Amino acid sequence: MGTLDPHTWLADHGDYLFRVARRQLHSDELAEDAVQETLLAALAAQARYAGDASPRTWLTGILKHKIVDLIRRNLREVEIPRDADGEEALDSLFKQDGHWAEPVRPWGNPLAEAELGQLRRVLDECADRLKPAMAQVFSLREVAGMETDDICKELNITPTNCWVLLHRARVFMRQCLELNGFAKAGAA
Amino acid sequence: MKWMVTCRETTELASRAMDERLPFADRVAMRMHLAICTNCAHFNRQLQQMRFLFRSETGDASGEPGLAPEARERIEAELRKKLDA
Repeated sequence: MGTLDPHTWLADHGDYLFRVARRQLHSDELAEDAVQETLLAALAAQARYAGDASPRTWLTGILKHKIVDLIRRNLREVEIPRDADGEEALDSLFKQDGHWAEPVRPWGNPLAEAELGQLRRVLDECADRLKPAMAQVFSLREVAGMETDDICKELNITPTNCWVLLHRARVFMRQCLELNGFAKAGAA
Repeated sequence: MKWMVTCRETTELASRAMDERLPFADRVAMRMHLAICTNCAHFNRQLQQMRFLFRSETGDASGEPGLAPEARERIEAELRKKLDA
């Protein structure tokens, strides 16, 4: 389907790859690193390009690996929240007996109601407030759609840790979206 | 085996169910709870809405900022080093 011309990669796909990376890494700097590493790796792997995918698809495939690499490297530097961390946020949602402290109102149709740019901002803001380890595991799962088993293996964390991180991240994101008035509660 | 679960436990099960198939007993416990608890049913629906939201907005990013000029130059220079080598 295509031939490769490394000279045009940056001009043709640079912005695209950057945006994909930015969405998962939530950092301009890391996303730039991801693009650079992707293009350098692609250069070295050119011979393996079979031509059955478009150059962009092929580059995006390499990018996905680089993103995981970066996250893994980064995770070594961040602390995976201990069991007690984040527990408070959950505690405040529930009463002692395990019932919801406040009623959960249904959402309308957030996607239909939101402007894309606004959605992006809210998602970024909320993700920024997550602990880095949580934001990254969350992105790999919910944005990139990686399987949880693969995430655990890639990041070398136990499945239990993975689920705990994911659950807390989801609860947090849900609250953050609501607080930002983004996912407006539908009429009760 | 536990058939009655609290709301708090149900949210954990619902979250985990987004990642893998739950063991039978957990699945039954969760479904029974969701059938009678609107709060948890709403929460469960929201988990799915969030996933839809995050995954669908990965589609079109063309309106978002691209590479900064300095970064582009830096990457260009790195690529050139290898290309010219």
